[in-house]
Amino acid sequence: MPTSRRAALAAAAVAVLVLPLSACGSSDGKGGSTDASGKVEGDITFQTWNLRANFKDYFESVVAGFESKYPGTHVKWIDQPAEGYADKISADAAGGTLPDVVNVSPDLVAPLAKAGLALDLDKAAARYEKEYLPGAWASHQIPGMKGTYAFPWYLNTGPLFYNKSLFRKAGLDPDRPPRTYDDLFTDALELAHKSGGKVATLANVPTIEDFGRYGVPLVNQQGTAFAFNDPKGVELLTKYKQLYDAKALDPQALTATPESSGKKFLTGAVAMNPGSALDLDNFKKQAPSLYRDIGITDQITSTGHVNMYVMGVMVNSRTRHTPAAVAFAHYVTDAAHQMAFAKKVAIFPSTAGSLDDPYFTKQDGTDETRVRVAAAKSLKTAVNYTPVLFSDQMKTALRNEVAKALQGKQSPKAALDNAVKACDTLLRQQG
Amino acid sequence: MSLLEKAPPRRPAAATARAPRAGLRDEHGRRVRAWELVLRYVLLLAVLALTVGPFLWQLSTSLKGPTEDIFSSPPKFLPGHPTLHNYQRVSATIPVWDYALNSLKVATANVVTNCAGSALAGYALARLRYRGRAAATLTFVLAMLVPVEGIVIAQFTTMRELGLNNTLVAVVLPGSVGAMNVLLMRNAFRNLPYEIEEAAYVDGADVWQRFLRIALPSVKGTLAVVAIFSFMGAWDDFLWPLIVLSDPSRFTLTIGLNYLHGTFAGDERLVAAGTVIAVAPLIALFACLQRYFFRGVGEGAVKG
Amino acid sequence: MASSTVLRGRRVKRQLPTSPWLFAAPGLLIAGAFILYPFVSTVVNSFTDRRTLIPGRFVGLANFRELLHDDMFWTGLRNSTLYVLGVVPALVVLPLLLALLVQKNIPGIAFFRAAFYTPVVASVVVVGLIWVWLLDERGLVNSLLETVGVGRVGFLSDQWLLLLSAMAVTVWKGLGYYMIIYLAALANVPRELHEAAAVDGAGAVRRFITVTVPAVRSTMVLVGALSSVAAFKVFSEVYLMAGPSGGPAGEDTTLVMLVQRTGTGLTGRVGYASALSVVVFLVTVALMLLVLRADRREES
Repeated sequence: MPTSRRAALAAAAVAVLVLPLSACGSSDGKGGSTDASGKVEGDITFQTWNLRANFKDYFESVVAGFESKYPGTHVKWIDQPAEGYADKISADAAGGTLPDVVNVSPDLVAPLAKAGLALDLDKAAARYEKEYLPGAWASHQIPGMKGTYAFPWYLNTGPLFYNKSLFRKAGLDPDRPPRTYDDLFTDALELAHKSGGKVATLANVPTIEDFGRYGVPLVNQQGTAFAFNDPKGVELLTKYKQLYDAKALDPQALTATPESSGKKFLTGAVAMNPGSALDLDNFKKQAPSLYRDIGITDQITSTGHVNMYVMGVMVNSRTRHTPAAVAFAHYVTDAAHQMAFAKKVAIFPSTAGSLDDPYFTKQDGTDETRVRVAAAKSLKTAVNYTPVLFSDQMKTALRNEVAKALQGKQSPKAALDNAVKACDTLLRQQG
Repeated sequence: MSLLEKAPPRRPAAATARAPRAGLRDEHGRRVRAWELVLRYVLLLAVLALTVGPFLWQLSTSLKGPTEDIFSSPPKFLPGHPTLHNYQRVSATIPVWDYALNSLKVATANVVTNCAGSALAGYALARLRYRGRAAATLTFVLAMLVPVEGIVIAQFTTMRELGLNNTLVAVVLPGSVGAMNVLLMRNAFRNLPYEIEEAAYVDGADVWQRFLRIALPSVKGTLAVVAIFSFMGAWDDFLWPLIVLSDPSRFTLTIGLNYLHGTFAGDERLVAAGTVIAVAPLIALFACLQRYFFRGVGEGAVKG
Repeated sequence: MASSTVLRGRRVKRQLPTSPWLFAAPGLLIAGAFILYPFVSTVVNSFTDRRTLIPGRFVGLANFRELLHDDMFWTGLRNSTLYVLGVVPALVVLPLLLALLVQKNIPGIAFFRAAFYTPVVASVVVVGLIWVWLLDERGLVNSLLETVGVGRVGFLSDQWLLLLSAMAVTVWKGLGYYMIIYLAALANVPRELHEAAAVDGAGAVRRFITVTVPAVRSTMVLVGALSSVAAFKVFSEVYLMAGPSGGPAGEDTTLVMLVQRTGTGLTGRVGYASALSVVVFLVTVALMLLVLRADRREES
């Protein structure tokens, strides 16, 4: 077939043309310097992640404050919606249109840093390090790389909520919620048994943070491979399998998302749900009858360290105004501004000493304050269990292997072995 | 095909339809039997429950007040204290009218370019004879088959090279002449009997005149389909506008409404109200255009 | 077709020689620049190990070889194929019946037509949320089933029921869409044909088979082609109902979901995902050819 040969030739010709085009995207070393010591001036863009709807005034005042502190600067604030954030950043990073200062989470920073797009703050802004909690500062360091690639911003953690009336109906004491994993598993089986399998206690399959909180080593010593298939991990998964068989783990857990499991808790189909101070407000608005009977207890861990989530602010290494970008990223995340932000919404500052503020230590009798004070206290030793290099693809791989174990299609041991193998492969492919 | 020689729009049946009143008549002017009418309505109502029911629930949620439990089980259908408060809150939370205006611009532009572009191309594919026609058709078929999920970033890079990123033009361009619409128009033109144009040709009409005056008016129905599909496509699109726009003042409604899923605690009622805002214009548009789909069928039917 | 040859024959010469291309130019330009050209780079990427932020090296057919050993790929291929088989017959037949139902002008029909179209205009995200709520273990459908005595059904936890539920949503959402295409086609069926058949004493069913179906046959083929391509590329419905990981243990993953999962985000394996895209493209081309060939065989 002569036509197909011609087509092949044409394709080859096009390939030669397109390759160099599509292969751009990183490390051409253009623009930007790591030197943040120059004069703070110029136009920069600051991108947040879904904060505009509720905090427009706050951010506008932060920008105004910065601009008046540093005449000659102009900050353009843009906010992206919740969905598709990673896709948006990917396109911008690949297309060279990444904003100067970007709101990120540790898992977003890692690939950006590896591609040379995140500024190393240990070089450009080391003097600010002491202003932050050491654990928070370290959360944007990447195994296998030197340096810190984002300022820590707000932290979040929270208690475990439970539905007292469901506890009561199962003959459990609503004022004595489970505090250890053993209690949790016993109570969960009891709840399922008494309700004839209609009330589950947990709505989610174990995730990487659950393994971490249970005391499973997640990554090997060198940080080059995953290790959660150790006996402790197998133990946790075996427990979950028992719960699943007894319907104490919701049958829909295998396909659940955090959103859907939250709804299950709201409808009273699930007895316990991890959450944060923010959820209290949510319960009040969306399920007033549940709110009247809500129980609050501490996160359950075997390690003594609760899990926390960290948000960061990174500086684009290609920015044309490194001093201004670094100054602004620091300005947004400094103690005063983090404190002001924390008072607007129930999150926690990552700056040193802020958690000792009376706002985080003094009770005033309300549930909100109780949750806030307890969370602030636990944050001092909290850990961000999710490994920085644990990508979305790895999460899916783990989740699917865990699901197979719960369904009884493979043993817990085999499931974790497979998951570790898949994640290690993905880790290598990430380069 | 020659058997289907199209009679001019005036139907002989139209005359009979206006004749003796009493009862309903179908499009052929025959009386509709009572039991058939009942059966039809029963079926219509059954399908109605199936297609609209879920939306009524959304509407009901959006009307529920702040003290109502929206997650009670079993679910409650009617709001206890209906209120429009949630709609006010949507417009207080996000500049919903600005977003809607952007969406309207994008959707309108998309309708215009698609109607014009796909009618022209469809006509060329169906009616004009030239070398490479098969190749041109194939191009559109292939374009329709390309899985979009895989090309978004490449499209973005192209837009950036053209300096169009972060403009509403860039939102419209990739879908401005949808391959599927071209193929729909081609199908429509092909189904037109040649004789109609032939007569015009004999009268000395050139190809543009034949296209504009004869062919185009005969495919109004399909053109309306293209219009509504392209309006809808532009109105509902999320990923592409999100990728290509960075300036929030240019965001379209779908992106803007996504802000309602708050980072901290979303509110189902707000989301529901946002949904209603997004869907209502489309339903209105369809209600306005739908009579064009029945062009030629409707005449001589009910009327009394 | 006799008359058309006449028109083509001698008169074509007097047309401006450039006009056909002028007519087709805008469409071709857009399709070429914004769809096909980007796809060429996808094809190129499929032979590399490119990651989102890391430029690729040429790896030959390695991605395609890996694909053959990837269980997820076969799961995806299976599910996408099942989707076509499940959804297409329903979408070819049901919207036609629906179109016939709303074609007749009886009082209030405009309202029904618009109402039947609402599932189409609602964004698929909304539709997904609504159906997840309806089909939930404690949702409306299950409460109804329980009162009837059937008992609760795990629509959203069983891998096959999940796929079936997603198909139902696709059909539900597509009904109005294809109904419109049929309505436009039905409008072109000369009523004289129906009248002739009615005079011959043909009943409604026979008229449907002898008059309506032949008259809209080309539209049925078109709907078949469009819906099978769309069904094979299904993403949103399954993604929303079965969750991002594709149902229990990923067993409901479709091919396009796999493209999205492996290729997007900052850690996406663009090269591998591109290879998947190329396969999806080739299969849809084959599907299209299959439908068209079936059509031609029937015609002759």
